[in-house]
Amino acid sequence: MPDTPLRSDHEALGARFTDFGGWEMPLQYKGVIAEHMAVRQSVGVFDVTHLGRFRLTGVGATAAIRKELCNDIDKIKPGRAQYTMALNETGGVVDDIIIWRFAEDEYWVMPNGVNFDELLGRFAAAPGVEAAPVRSDTVLLAVQGPDSAEVLDNAIGIVPGRFRVATGEFADGPMWVSGTGYTGERGAEIAVPNENGSQLLASLLEVGAVPAGLGSRDTLRLEMGYPLWGQDLDEQTSPLEAGLSWVVDWDHEFVGRDALAAQRSAGLSKQLVAFRTADRRPPRHGYPLRSGDSVGEVASGNFSPVLEVGIGMGYVTPPIDNDANLELEVRGNWQAVELVDPPFLDR
Amino acid sequence: MQIPEGLRYTENHEWVQVQDDGSVRVGITDFAQDALGDVVFVDLPDVGAEVTAGEAFAEIESTKSVADVYAPISGTITAANEVLVDAPETINSDPYAAAWFVVISGDASGVEALMDPAAYEAFSE
Repeated sequence: MPDTPLRSDHEALGARFTDFGGWEMPLQYKGVIAEHMAVRQSVGVFDVTHLGRFRLTGVGATAAIRKELCNDIDKIKPGRAQYTMALNETGGVVDDIIIWRFAEDEYWVMPNGVNFDELLGRFAAAPGVEAAPVRSDTVLLAVQGPDSAEVLDNAIGIVPGRFRVATGEFADGPMWVSGTGYTGERGAEIAVPNENGSQLLASLLEVGAVPAGLGSRDTLRLEMGYPLWGQDLDEQTSPLEAGLSWVVDWDHEFVGRDALAAQRSAGLSKQLVAFRTADRRPPRHGYPLRSGDSVGEVASGNFSPVLEVGIGMGYVTPPIDNDANLELEVRGNWQAVELVDPPFLDR
Repeated sequence: MQIPEGLRYTENHEWVQVQDDGSVRVGITDFAQDALGDVVFVDLPDVGAEVTAGEAFAEIESTKSVADVYAPISGTITAANEVLVDAPETINSDPYAAAWFVVISGDASGVEALMDPAAYEAFSE
């Protein structure tokens, strides 16, 4: 199993490791809730080296992205980042992706770890395109939290705006920076060559970032209602069903567009709902949901450290009566839960 | 990993303490809280409820998973630790003292046969 190159650094910080998409990554250091609150209230640093990323260049790069992905990359200029998705021919989500656009024809494409090879293959086959994996050569750290600007300024000298990307130098090597993350907080994701990863982590910790594991990254993204591929999104779920129609640009051709258009006119067979529970008990993946004749189940759920109640997202069959009670079955007992228009927190 | 003297331990990673009046106090071990991670919810039985040895009497939920707590003896719940309802994190910070779960009144003659600290230490390695 591949490891983050920073494994010994994390061990020295007391990390526990777990498997994320075939990579052994830090799950937690002191505890999920402490790390969650550090990111909400000050600043945390995550090792997200397991996330997929490849560089896409060449005269055909922009055309390939427009064809393969459902958002329109031409809506953003060089120097910006975009959230988008790769769909299959039936409109299901093969992966959700962040793209960093450094120049007119120079991109980093960042899918989840799991479908990395399939997506790289799709792009490598496109004409006029050079697709080069950069994941195994670089360490990727995410600095997130209300105090991230000061930490970034002190450690790397670049404080990107939201969804802005930049390049720079760190330890006499290249550095790629993006004002993105997965927590709802301000911050940046920073890539440097493997050999400079330890120094980057040490520099961030030295100026006040708290080490945070992927356990808290999951509760942080859930509080923002951000989907996790494999739980909230999969190849049988379309962006329309997931409540992410804003990611679909209908004014261009892309893989899966016909199926999505048919779904839009025929109506959806399932739709995403978000809810909060009345007590601290966490809803969990697979728990049944119902609302009148509408039935379904929880996709993602956990305890919200900020709200101190259970929160979750799931899929149910339409139509949903927004005035009807949504109910959740927890170990044999049905209980009323409150429908929420995500995010669960204002940010 | 803390394994205090003066307690007995079960294979479900609970500790059991026989009190002066013969009733038993029950909680989960340091090993168990560490494996669960941050505990966020506990469902305790009502005082007066009957419990059966070997059957689940409480549920613990952490950010990672849900677990049952099993009764070490049969009997009646004479106290339940309400502190855990509002502050379940006490289970992580003080599993052997502040975070006792319940007191059970019943036949405690089987408790002596549970694991002593040395046996539990070997068991939980």
